[in-house]
Amino acid sequence: MKHRLTQLLAALALGAAVSLPALASKDVVIAIDQNFTTMDPYDANDTLSPAVAKSFYQGLYGFDRSMKIVPLLAESHVVSKDGLVYTLKLKRGVKFHDGSDFNAEAVKVTFDRVTNPENKLKRYNLYKNIAKTEVVDPYTVRFTLKESFSPFINTLAHPTGVIISSVALARLGKGIAQSPVGTGPFRFVEWKQGDFVRVEKFAGYWRKGYPKVDTLTWRPVADNNTRSAILQTGEAHFIYSVPYEQAEVLKSKPGIELTASPSIIHRFMSMNTQQKPFDNVKVREAINYAINKEALIKVAFSGYAIPADGVLPRGMEHALKLGPWPYDPAKARELLKEAGYPNGFESTLWAAVNNTTWVKAIQFLQQQLGQVGIKVQVQALETGQRVEKVESAKDAASAPVRMYYMGWSSSTGEADWAMRPILASESFPPRMYNTAYYKNDAVDADIAKALNTTSADEKDKLYADAQRRIWKDAPWAFLVTEQLLSARNKKLTGMYVMPDGSFDFNEIELK
Amino acid sequence: MTGYIIKRLFGLLPTLLIVAVLVFMFVHLLPGDPARLAAGPDADPQTVALVRQDLGLDRPLPEQFVSFFTRMLHGDFGASMRTRRPVSTEIAERFTPTLLLTLSSMGWSVILGMSLGVVSAVFRNQWPDRVGMAVAVSGISFPSFALGMLLMQIFSVQLGWLPTIGADSWRHYILPSLTLGAAVAAVMARFTRASLVEVMQEDFVRTARAKGLKERTVIAKHCLRNALIPVVTMMGLQFGFLLGGSIVVEVVFNWPGVGRLLVDAVSTRDYPVIQALVLLFSLEFILINLIVDVLYGLINPTIRYH
Repeated sequence: MKHRLTQLLAALALGAAVSLPALASKDVVIAIDQNFTTMDPYDANDTLSPAVAKSFYQGLYGFDRSMKIVPLLAESHVVSKDGLVYTLKLKRGVKFHDGSDFNAEAVKVTFDRVTNPENKLKRYNLYKNIAKTEVVDPYTVRFTLKESFSPFINTLAHPTGVIISSVALARLGKGIAQSPVGTGPFRFVEWKQGDFVRVEKFAGYWRKGYPKVDTLTWRPVADNNTRSAILQTGEAHFIYSVPYEQAEVLKSKPGIELTASPSIIHRFMSMNTQQKPFDNVKVREAINYAINKEALIKVAFSGYAIPADGVLPRGMEHALKLGPWPYDPAKARELLKEAGYPNGFESTLWAAVNNTTWVKAIQFLQQQLGQVGIKVQVQALETGQRVEKVESAKDAASAPVRMYYMGWSSSTGEADWAMRPILASESFPPRMYNTAYYKNDAVDADIAKALNTTSADEKDKLYADAQRRIWKDAPWAFLVTEQLLSARNKKLTGMYVMPDGSFDFNEIELK
Repeated sequence: MTGYIIKRLFGLLPTLLIVAVLVFMFVHLLPGDPARLAAGPDADPQTVALVRQDLGLDRPLPEQFVSFFTRMLHGDFGASMRTRRPVSTEIAERFTPTLLLTLSSMGWSVILGMSLGVVSAVFRNQWPDRVGMAVAVSGISFPSFALGMLLMQIFSVQLGWLPTIGADSWRHYILPSLTLGAAVAAVMARFTRASLVEVMQEDFVRTARAKGLKERTVIAKHCLRNALIPVVTMMGLQFGFLLGGSIVVEVVFNWPGVGRLLVDAVSTRDYPVIQALVLLFSLEFILINLIVDVLYGLINPTIRYH
C-alpha cells in the first residue's frame, strides 16, 4: 500500500512537472504480418481476423493458451445419448457493448444467421451441421445437429463461433462487419483501412477487473524489417511473426523478449500415391528415410521447429508419438533398389507458398533426394498457380501434382480437422486438400466412426489406429512441426501466441 | 483554350473504355479461382459454390462483362471480394494518404531537383556540377526500399526522432516523403541540367548576353523558361507514377495508401478492386497529361491549341 502511495505521488509530481496526465492511459499496440479482411468472424477465412475480433467478441466456449477448451459465455453442456442434441446453460448477467442482455435469444439469432445459406457467409461450412437452435428458457439453449458430430464443442469454441448482439444485428444487418457489437473485454472504436483497428476497454465487461489496459491497437505491418523496427522504437509492444533471420538480432536487444511457442502447424511433403513411382510404399518409405529433418530445421527454420513425431502434431489431443522417422540414406537406397529403382527416378516437387522459408525448404529437400538418386525439379507456387494446378485438379488420374510441400493447422484444434481434410479419401482435390490422393478404407472408417462416437476412450482408440496405419503407409514425408516466433517489449505481459497462430490476450497488461 | 480542354476531356472517354475492356480481360485471365481463394482453406465445395454465386462468378464471362460495364457507367464499381465493402469507399479511404504523400514528395523534390539542375548547368563541369550530379546519380541508383530502411534505421530506431509507421501527423510524412522524393529530385536535376545546357548554347542566349543583360536575367528569364518544356513533361510523368502509390515505399512505411491496396487486391484476386484501381491510374495519367499540355501553352506562348 505504501509502495503504491509513493508511486502515485511520484506520478503526480511528474504530472505536475511535465504536465502529463497523472495516470497515463495504457495503450498497447500489436503489429501483425497480415492484413485483416473483416470484423465479422463468420465471414472470415483467415486465422487473423477472428483473432483480432476476440477483442470485442466472445464465443460460448473458447480455447486457452494451450488449446484446451474453456467455457466462456456458456456454463455447462449436456449431450443426448445419440450425440445429436446439445443443451447448454448460459452465463447470466453478461451485457453486450450496446447495453442489451446476453441470452439464449442472442445465441439463436447468431447461429440462425450463419446456418442460413442465403446469408452466404464464408464459415457456413463449419456450422451447417446445426439443424436448429432453440431457446429453452432465457438462459438455456438447445442445438440439434443433422448428424452426430463428436467435436461439436470444439466447433463452438472455434474463434469464429462468437455471439453477436441480436439488437445490433437487427439494426445493422450486413453492416455488422464494420461495426461489431459483442460481449468482449474491449469495445470496437475504429477500423482505419490498411492502418489499424482500435478497440477500447469496455467498462461493463463481465469479468471484473479486466481488461487491464485502456486501448488495444492492431496494426497490420507486412514488411519484416518495419515490424522489427517499430518494436525497437516502442511504436509497437508486440510483433508477430518474427522472421527467422531477425530472431538473432532481436534477441540481443535489451528490453525485448523473443518467444518461440509451440504450434499445431505441421509441415510435410505429400506424394501422389495414385501415380508411379509413388504408388509403391517402398518408394515413399525411402523418401522418408532420405530426408534429414534436423538439418532441414537448421537450414529452413533457423532451428525454430521440431521434427514431426507423428501424423498429428505433438500436443494435440489424441496425437500418437510414432517417430520421428529416422534419417538413413543407405536404407533409402536399398528400398529404392527393392522397389525397382536402383538408379532413382525423376519427378517434380512443388511448394504451396512462394516465400524465402518455403523456397529454402524445397531446395533442401531437392538436395536430400538427390543424394539417393531422386532428381526433382522444384517450383514454389504463387497463390493463383496453387489454386489452379493443385486445388482445382478435376480427378485423381489427371492431377499433375507429384511431390508437394505443404502445411496444415487444424483450425478447430482437434484431430478430426487435422486428418479428414488432408488424409481421408473424401477429401481429394478439388473438394479438400488430400494432395497425396491417399485412400485407405480402414483409415476412412476410423475417421468417420470417431466423428460419431461420444465416448472419449473409443475415440482415442480409433484415432490411434488411423495414425498407425497412416504412418505405415507413409503417404507423406513427415517433416517438421513449426514453432511460432513472436517478440514483445518486456513491459508487456499476458500476450500469447496460441498453437494455431491465434492470440490469447485476456491477461494483457502494460507495466 | 477552354474549347481545347473540353475536346480533350471528351477524347478521354474512348481511352478509358479501351482500358476497361483490357483490364477486365487481363484480370480474368490471371490464374487462380477467386471464389476458392475467398472461401479459404477450410471451405468445402458447397461453400465455394456459395461464395462463387455471391461474387457473381458463376455466370458466363460475357454476361459478367456486360454487368460490370453497365454498373460502371452508373458509377458503381461493385463491392470488394475481400472485405465486401463498396470499391469506391475502399479506394477513397486509401486515396487521400497517397495523394498527400505524393504532393509532399513532389513539392520538395521538384524545388530541390530543379535548383540542383540549374546550378549544375550554370557551373557546368565545375565542382558544383560534379557534386550535384554525383548526388543525382546516387539518388537514381539507390533503390527506394533500401533508402527507406536506412532512413528508418537512423532516424527512428537509432535516434528516435521520427515515427516509423502511420499517417497521423506531419511528422509521419517526413521519412516516406524523403524516400519517395529522392528519385524524383534526382531525375528532375538531370533533366533540368541537360535541357538548360542545351538552351544555353542557342543563338538567342548569345544575343541576350550581347545586349548586356545580367547573367542572372539571361538564365532565369531567357534560358530557364525555354528549358522547362521537357522538365514539365517529366514532372507530369513522375507525378502520375507516384499517384499510383509507390508500392515499395508504402509497404516499407506501412502507408495506408492505394499501392498496398493494389498488392492486397492482386494477391487475393479481388477483381473489382483491381479493375477500379487500374482505371483510376489511367484516368490520373490522362488528366496529368492534359494539365502538362496546358502548361506548355503557358510556358511557351508560341504553342497554340485548337
